[in-house]
Amino acid sequence: MKTYTIQVLKRPWYEWVLWAVWFLVEIFVLQNAIASGAELEPRAASIFWMTFVVLLLGGGIVWFVRRARLAK
Amino acid sequence: MNDTGKAKRALSRREFFKMAGIGTGAAVAASSLQPAKVANAAAAPYTDPAGRPARPWWVKTVDQPTTEIDWAKMKRYSERYIEEEDSGTVRGDGFAGYLGAEEAERLIKQGNDKMKQRLVDNVDGYTLKDHAMSAGQSATSVARSFLGPQKAKTPEERGVAKWSGTPAEGARILRTALRHMGASTIGFVELDENTRKLIYSMDPDGKILEFTDDPIASETETHRYIPNSCKYVIVYTVQMSEEAMKRSPTMTASQTTTGAYSRGAQIAAGTQEFLRTLGYQGLSEASTNALGIAPAFGVLAGLGEMSRLNRMITPEFGPMVRVFKMLTDLPVEPDKPINAGIMDFCRSCKKCAEACPSGALSFESEPYWETKGGWNNAGHKAWFEDATKCRTYWVSEAGTNCGICFGVCPFSKKDKAWIHEWVKAGTSAAPFLASFFRSMDDAFGYGVQKSGEDWWNLDQPEYGVDSMSVVKG
Repeated sequence: MKTYTIQVLKRPWYEWVLWAVWFLVEIFVLQNAIASGAELEPRAASIFWMTFVVLLLGGGIVWFVRRARLAK
Repeated sequence: MNDTGKAKRALSRREFFKMAGIGTGAAVAASSLQPAKVANAAAAPYTDPAGRPARPWWVKTVDQPTTEIDWAKMKRYSERYIEEEDSGTVRGDGFAGYLGAEEAERLIKQGNDKMKQRLVDNVDGYTLKDHAMSAGQSATSVARSFLGPQKAKTPEERGVAKWSGTPAEGARILRTALRHMGASTIGFVELDENTRKLIYSMDPDGKILEFTDDPIASETETHRYIPNSCKYVIVYTVQMSEEAMKRSPTMTASQTTTGAYSRGAQIAAGTQEFLRTLGYQGLSEASTNALGIAPAFGVLAGLGEMSRLNRMITPEFGPMVRVFKMLTDLPVEPDKPINAGIMDFCRSCKKCAEACPSGALSFESEPYWETKGGWNNAGHKAWFEDATKCRTYWVSEAGTNCGICFGVCPFSKKDKAWIHEWVKAGTSAAPFLASFFRSMDDAFGYGVQKSGEDWWNLDQPEYGVDSMSVVKG
């Protein structure tokens, strides 16, 4: 009879805290991006949008890399 | 298979609740990211007995203003140029007085010629429709008067006793009334032997302002008599459109100044009649910038702080306001000055001085006691400006008033993006970050002059201002 061991690797609590911070920063940057457009400040809006996208992509990449590492 | 499936479902549920929990927590935390917003503040009753609006935590009430004052050195200032003393305002006769009649005439002609050519050439911000807008704003004004329209029935005429209440109640009803007539922020100062020096010795029209024991205010051909009982100063701001002012120096920009002055005059007349109906006197500016030194009263009333512009900057709208004042014998609770880190910020920012095309604004890091000329009033530490340079640029180059310094000021922001509130809070709490904030202001493209033609394509709120920004706490 074969036995299988299932190993469940949980992300540590501080990682969730870091993700929460990332999420808050994203909200903050997104609000500023949208509001800067409404304020007719195109350069500020562009910088905030760029920051938002970079953070989003960065977060996505880190998430998948960490997930792949945990899955090994 | 079933076990595996259950395990997968259980795991999935845990993940779901975990994510939901984090998401909810983050959303709740995010809602507090903007430090100063209060939901439905416009509909909420006053929390302060005198009706003072709640302000952000970084606007601190202080006993002494951030501008150093030496009351012993201060004298009452004439808002009309006095040739014998070579002092008084640079406006009106003062321009020729300080520069010489011939030079003034030459500069005025130069400016008029340029204005005409711009109109002919259809220059952005100086087109016929821009001139039309300016003319329209001028026409919205009402006649200014020291004593007021005096048309409203007094309590005596109505057969009732005059209104009475505590000074706090007086302040509260005045705040409500003025706000509903169009004022943005309102504060009060009680005149004493020092603050009386901020009432002009002479109005722009040459009439002498004199205090009297007579309880009723009066006006003659040469004098305006202020009863000693009229010792309460009502100071109020009227917003200008930041969007228009960022077109400065053009007719597009100057029309918002004209419009704010017009609204200020309407509010003054309305308040005078309001006070008369209550059984009190309201003594207002008989002409533009008359009666007393507006920024000084604004600072003492806690509406803002002095700045490198040598004008008042408010925490709410930056310099995008005109300041008005009125005297009354209705007892009101006076306000205290504030410290929101504005003057500290000005020490290192200097953006306005760099942008000023006439070089009128100071680059000194610290404010100073020495005045630049007879147009400044000694007795306080300020970044005194060279008003003749400023005025010369208005008259000979811009052809209209210039508000470039207002437009580029880092405090001139709308309040939609949360970042502005954070920066203002940071400016107040961490003055050492001022240089960094100034650099970021440049990097983000704030204060760049905008097109006058584009202004006509904007879907703007009434008066081009956001009246809701004053009711956030």
